[in-house]
Amino acid sequence: MDSEIIYLDHAAATPMDTRVITAMQPYFSDNFYNPSSPYAPAVKVRCDYEDTKHKIASLIGAKPGEIIMTAGATESINLAFSGIAGHVVVPNIEHHAVLNCAKLHNHTLVNADKRGFVSADSVKSAITAETQLVSVALANNELGTVQPIRDIAQVVKSERESRLVSGNKTPIYLHCDASQGVGQLDINVARLGIDMLTLNSGKIYGPKQVGLLWAASHVKLQPLIIGGGQERGLRSGTENVAGTVGFAKALELALEHRKFEADRLLELRDSLQKKLTDAFPSAIVSGHSKHRLAGHLHMSFPGLDGERLIFILENRGVMLATGSACAANKGTRSHVLTAIGLSDEQADGSIRITLGHLSTTENINKAGEIIIEELAKEYQRVNR
Amino acid sequence: MTKVYVGMSGGVDSSLSAALLIEQGYDVTGVYMKNWTTDLPGMKCPWADDLADAKRVAVNLGIDFKVFDFENEYKHKVVDYMIDEYKNGRTPNPDIMCNQEVKFKLFLVAAIEDGADMIATGHYARVEYGIWKMEDGESQLQSMPNSNSQIPIAKLKQAVDLNKDQTYFLYRVTGQALSKTLFPIGEFTKPDVRKMAAERGLSTAAKKDSQGICFVGQVGIRDFLSLYVDQKPGEIIDKKSGKVLGRHDGAIFYTLGQRHGLELGGGLPYYVVGKDMDKNEVYVTTDLNDGTLWKDTINLADVHWINQAPNAGKYQIRVRHRAPLTDATLSYDGDNVVLNLQNPERAIAAGQSVVIYDGEICLGGGIII
Repeated sequence: MDSEIIYLDHAAATPMDTRVITAMQPYFSDNFYNPSSPYAPAVKVRCDYEDTKHKIASLIGAKPGEIIMTAGATESINLAFSGIAGHVVVPNIEHHAVLNCAKLHNHTLVNADKRGFVSADSVKSAITAETQLVSVALANNELGTVQPIRDIAQVVKSERESRLVSGNKTPIYLHCDASQGVGQLDINVARLGIDMLTLNSGKIYGPKQVGLLWAASHVKLQPLIIGGGQERGLRSGTENVAGTVGFAKALELALEHRKFEADRLLELRDSLQKKLTDAFPSAIVSGHSKHRLAGHLHMSFPGLDGERLIFILENRGVMLATGSACAANKGTRSHVLTAIGLSDEQADGSIRITLGHLSTTENINKAGEIIIEELAKEYQRVNR
Repeated sequence: MTKVYVGMSGGVDSSLSAALLIEQGYDVTGVYMKNWTTDLPGMKCPWADDLADAKRVAVNLGIDFKVFDFENEYKHKVVDYMIDEYKNGRTPNPDIMCNQEVKFKLFLVAAIEDGADMIATGHYARVEYGIWKMEDGESQLQSMPNSNSQIPIAKLKQAVDLNKDQTYFLYRVTGQALSKTLFPIGEFTKPDVRKMAAERGLSTAAKKDSQGICFVGQVGIRDFLSLYVDQKPGEIIDKKSGKVLGRHDGAIFYTLGQRHGLELGGGLPYYVVGKDMDKNEVYVTTDLNDGTLWKDTINLADVHWINQAPNAGKYQIRVRHRAPLTDATLSYDGDNVVLNLQNPERAIAAGQSVVIYDGEICLGGGIII
């Protein structure tokens, strides 16, 4: 193996920022107290925890009382669906966490177009008088396509208004899973016009197994985990103070450097994309050409085997994915790629490159060279 | 260059097999056989990791890698067969069926059709190759090409590592299939195999051996059967006294000689000595000398010989995988085989296979009636 690891899978996991680790450190040992305990040091921990939630709330433009800390995005998504009894509308390219929650309800899948884009019109035509929840990811995890959440919010808003007029008392909410794209996109809940937001700390250089659901005060939720009544009874269990502090720090850093990082990644991504498409003109770049996360590059090399490419490139120190880490390595085709109309051959020859903090001009240039070299060898092997 | 398709399961045995074949100068292609598995909704499919492991080894060895999908055939020939046998009160062996129907029939034929000259697997067994004239001239494997009177056939020989020897599972393959088969690790012991795999840097060198029935995965046979068979409560009866000792949830789940899972409370352990599938009754005893637990005569039906049927006479037999070979006298009763054992064997259940050896050579065997 080449000595240096070039990590190109930031959409799957991110390394914790040292500043995040530093912020968390005191809460593992010195400030270990249970926030619910009565003595002064524990009360101090309780204050720190509440302050941290205030900080998170102000970072996303929400009220602190509307934030429920969870053990990651999957739990947040499950919680978002918890209070829903009626019809739900979700795009057919959502993460399995959303799709599998939707399948427990009467649901309509909205077809994304071949760029993985979900238009507000297509969402609108899927909404019925019984629809209680529309759930759309801010950006697709495999393709990086950014969805028009504000437009979709307008659709939900006008549906709500027309229900008011017609006397239909069924509530309708818009949930946005923003696990991807937090370091690059605006996630202010007021500006997005949504009712619920899922965030994931593990994707933004924070600790894993930490996430949150923001739910506007008018949204009715049912707890999935009951017990001591923490998080307003919606998520019992002793608060993960260290995790929450780390998450808040990670979120703060992500939003602070958002514009700079997005520009930097865009330049790196575009140069890598150009290199690869120049070297392999038959390659297909998937995802929206304009509305796409700056660090995402999804490419198909028809005739090659994406999983094989992973194993070849890992030997050269280059770590990338065939799809989302959950769908990859399962020998099953990605539902996203099928949904956007890639043929089996194109889907099987796909790789996903996602850039992030660990990406530099030097290592992306080097990765480009290695990928081109190894792909050329693979084409030689299959064509011999 | 001889083109060999090696079945790669993602385990260390087949990984090293592929590596050894390359070193021996064969043109090697790795093949993952996708068999049927119980895919429970929402659960991670168990074969995906194995497929990835196999592919990773193939990539690192620089060989082509293919996936052969035998899911439907496997379900039909192996899984359904197993469930049916259990339903009929017998204890079948799905691994034997898998070798007979899938690995040394479907895989062999598919590999040859795809351009292979031979196949290889990571079984602990050896083949003695040669050309014998088949006496009845009938091709045992209909779909194999080149059938003429001079058919290359081969003998199945126990592995060097007698502790790992897998010929018990291979007794229903044909000599003709074996003549197209390589067992690269049959000459080595398991510790050698692990060491050699590690020396070659194979990523599966330290991977745990798979346990139990392949397609059942982590689920036990009892849980697996419960998916296909309704639980049917019945009585557990003491064979001697006729007393009802307890209840079971279906005679189908019990096997002759079985000791565990009777949940009859303390005292001496109980053993299953019989069952009546119609009455759904299970008979047990604490008497280890009970006549039904020990047999000195075994009748075999559905007999299969790897090459020609042997003459009546003295041979060695094995009643379960890894059981020691014991002496027996073989005679014929029409198509069936009668084995007279020198020493009685314990817990021989209907449906189980008995495999017959002449020294190191595995001749074939049959299914206990």
